[in-house]
Amino acid sequence: MTRLLFTLALLIISCSAAAETWPSAQWSERPTTRNEAVSALESYAFPARDEATRKGVRTDALLIIHNGEVVYERYGGVTRADTPHLTWSISKSILASVLGVAFGEGRFKLEDPVATFYPPFNVHPDIKLQDLLHWASGLDWQEDYEYAPLNSSVVAMLYTRGRGDMARYTAEHGIASAPGTSYRYSSGDSTVLAAALKTMVGETAYADYPWTALFEPLGITSATWERDATGTFVGSSYAYMTARDLARIGLLMQRRGRWQDRQLLPQAWVDFNLKPFKSLTPTDEAPGGHWWLNTTADGKAGPWPDAPADTFAALGHWGQALYVIPSAGLVIVRYADDRDGSYDHNQLLKLALKAVVGEGDK
Amino acid sequence: MNARKSFIRRRPFSSLVLLLLVIIAGLIWNWRVQLQVFPSIISAYTAKEYCSCRFVMNAPVEYCHSYVKQWLPSTVDEDSLNKRITATGLGRGSAAQWEGPRQGCRLLPPVP
Repeated sequence: MTRLLFTLALLIISCSAAAETWPSAQWSERPTTRNEAVSALESYAFPARDEATRKGVRTDALLIIHNGEVVYERYGGVTRADTPHLTWSISKSILASVLGVAFGEGRFKLEDPVATFYPPFNVHPDIKLQDLLHWASGLDWQEDYEYAPLNSSVVAMLYTRGRGDMARYTAEHGIASAPGTSYRYSSGDSTVLAAALKTMVGETAYADYPWTALFEPLGITSATWERDATGTFVGSSYAYMTARDLARIGLLMQRRGRWQDRQLLPQAWVDFNLKPFKSLTPTDEAPGGHWWLNTTADGKAGPWPDAPADTFAALGHWGQALYVIPSAGLVIVRYADDRDGSYDHNQLLKLALKAVVGEGDK
Repeated sequence: MNARKSFIRRRPFSSLVLLLLVIIAGLIWNWRVQLQVFPSIISAYTAKEYCSCRFVMNAPVEYCHSYVKQWLPSTVDEDSLNKRITATGLGRGSAAQWEGPRQGCRLLPPVP
């Protein structure tokens, strides 16, 4: 009898451990109790909003998912739960997840030359797909937005010379370093990946591929992805979705590419995303495969000292962020309109960890 | 060589001005493509981002005006019926068009 009870208890424990919460059409909610740590997080993320000078931290959305449930959610400015907010460069990591599905379908290998899928790269035969994913194509690209508008490659790509065919504009850049050796953040590299996807999946399937491959399986309904004049997705910059929808991509990554019973992204793909890239040139960031990590290639601590080493993120202009902390079961979406550099990722991660799981001041 | 030296000696200031002019001309030539398209940045940025602000993010008019505001003056004209935005700045004009719920906004030709 005792043995039977023991077995039963063991069974119940193992079942509840395996029971994971997943969002259906809506997320389930389990709001965190209000306490000092939550107040500290709020006063950091939502100070009085300065609309006149646009200075300081200006959070549009802060959504925290703990073990698959919404535990904290607040919006600022004109952004609401149903606003498809511009993600800027978070688009790059979303694109990586779209590519992950294509990778699982066997449509390409990481070592394939870009030229196989994007012929204008015949002039750069040594650049491989994995080099683009590491932002290490070696192309002579200038990523500054506001501070060097005259020779900024990204401004020209989005708004002037490049906008007709953004991938081709990227291909026309010269070489600054050997492909695959040096990290040099480039929206052009991401845009070329978006163009290569067209050949990988075929012209007909391409226009809806992000939806059929990724968004629909995850239940994402709010997405917009703008294109250039040739119909190529602006993979570097122009994906939009609600905070709640972006969190679905975070949860997919937190659970290593698995969505409920389906391994949507191969584990090998997620491993590639989360492996630090070893760059010959020194960098302040810790880039992985189109995601940002908190561990460097030589095993040192990454840029967010108050967050666990397994933290990773998708980051965008003006303070957009999707943070994932698998060891804490956390996904955090932060949308913003920060026009200066006062926002600090580490500070937000520290306060959010403390508010939700009572950690962060270690 | 002697003749040039003496010219520099006789006219040191004119020589300096001439040298500066040559350098400036060289820089302009070097940056000619960038300089030619540069003025379009303001109107293109304004038209595209205002269009997306209004028709993709569904934000109010006043908010989107302040959202696209830059340090250089620009104007925005909204055709809400056709979801089309025209903007001007630095003497150039650009137009953006909303194309659908999945496609969002795109700048219209010609490419500068």
